[in-house]
Amino acid sequence: MAAFTDRELIVRARRGDRNAFGELVTCYQTGVFNVCFRLLHERSEAEDLAQETFMRAYDRLPMFDLDREFGPWIRRIAANLCLNYLESRKVTAQLDEERDVDDGQRPERQVEVRERSAQIRDALLSLPPHYRVVIELRHYQELSYDEIASELKIPLSDVKSHLFRARKLLAEKLHAPD
Amino acid sequence: MHLTDHLTDMQLNEYLDNETIPEDRIQIETHVSMCDECAARLTALQALFAEIESLPEVALSRPIAARFTRPVGLPAPLPRFLTLTATLQAAMALLLLTLAAPFLTNLLPYMEIPSLTGMLLQLQRQWITWSDLLSSFQWPTLPQLPALEISSFMLTLTLVGTSMLWLLGNGLLLRKQMK
Repeated sequence: MAAFTDRELIVRARRGDRNAFGELVTCYQTGVFNVCFRLLHERSEAEDLAQETFMRAYDRLPMFDLDREFGPWIRRIAANLCLNYLESRKVTAQLDEERDVDDGQRPERQVEVRERSAQIRDALLSLPPHYRVVIELRHYQELSYDEIASELKIPLSDVKSHLFRARKLLAEKLHAPD
Repeated sequence: MHLTDHLTDMQLNEYLDNETIPEDRIQIETHVSMCDECAARLTALQALFAEIESLPEVALSRPIAARFTRPVGLPAPLPRFLTLTATLQAAMALLLLTLAAPFLTNLLPYMEIPSLTGMLLQLQRQWITWSDLLSSFQWPTLPQLPALEISSFMLTLTLVGTSMLWLLGNGLLLRKQMK
C-alpha cells in the first residue's frame, strides 16, 4: 500500500476518514507525548494530554493551512495545552521512573544516561510553567523568539527574559554540588 | 556594543539562539576570541544547551492512535462553510435585533400588560373568533418612524428571508449531526 503524505492524510481526515487521522496520530503520537511528558513529568497525565492534543487538532483540521507542516503545528498545540493545564492546577507530581535509554547501549552507560536524564527532567520540573514552556519551544521545537512570542501571546522581551532566567535556574540546578 | 566590555549573559543567550544581528554577531565572535572569561561563559552556556537537548525521547506505554480509529470514534469535523453559516446566522440575528430596536421603542409605550384573568378571557375570545380573524386578517400598520422608513412588505420579506436562511443553516447542521 502506497504511503500517504501528511497533506493527503489531512485532506482525507477532513472528509471524515478516521483511519487517515489514525495514521497521522501514529506518526506523531510519540513526539506529542514527549512534549507533554517534558512539560508535565507525569506519564498518565502526559498521555491524557497527548490524546487531548489530537482531539483538539482534529477539531481544528478544517482551519489547518495545508502549506504548513503538521508536526510543528501539533507540537505547539500540545505545548499550549500543557501550559494551560499547568497554570490551571499546580502539578506537584513526582517524577516517573523512565527508560530514557537506548536498549543497545552498555549497561553502565544506560545507568549513566538514565541518571542524567532524571536530573534534567528534575531540573525542568523545578521551573515555573511559563519558563518550562519557553525552554520546550526553544530547545525541543526550535522556534525563534518571534515565533515563541506569537505562540504564547507574550512580548518579545518576556521571551528573552523567561529564557534567560529559565536557563540560569537550570544551570544552578544541574551544576549544584551534591 | 563596546569590545572592551564583557559580554552580558543576555547577549550570550541571544548569540547561541541565533537571534543576534549579523554585525553584532561578528563583534561577539571577535570579543570571545580575545576574552578568556567570556569564552569560558559561552562554552558553559553551550554545554548547558547540549545538556538540555540531550534528553532522550520516551516511548508511549499505550498507543493513542487506536483510540481515534474505533468505529464509535470521532464524528467528521464540520466543513468550514457550515461553521461560517453559524457565524453568519449570529451576525444576521444581531443585525435584525438592531433593526427591530426602533420598532420596539415605538411600540413599548402603547403596550399594556393585562392581568392573568384578563389574559385568559382574551385567549378564550380569540379562540372562539379564530377563524373570523384568519379570514379578515390584515397586516397591522406600522407606526411612522422619524428616520427609518421600512414598508411592511419589505419587513415581511426580510423576516421571511431570514427565517428561511436560518432554517436552511440549521437544517444543514442537523443533517450532519444526524448522519
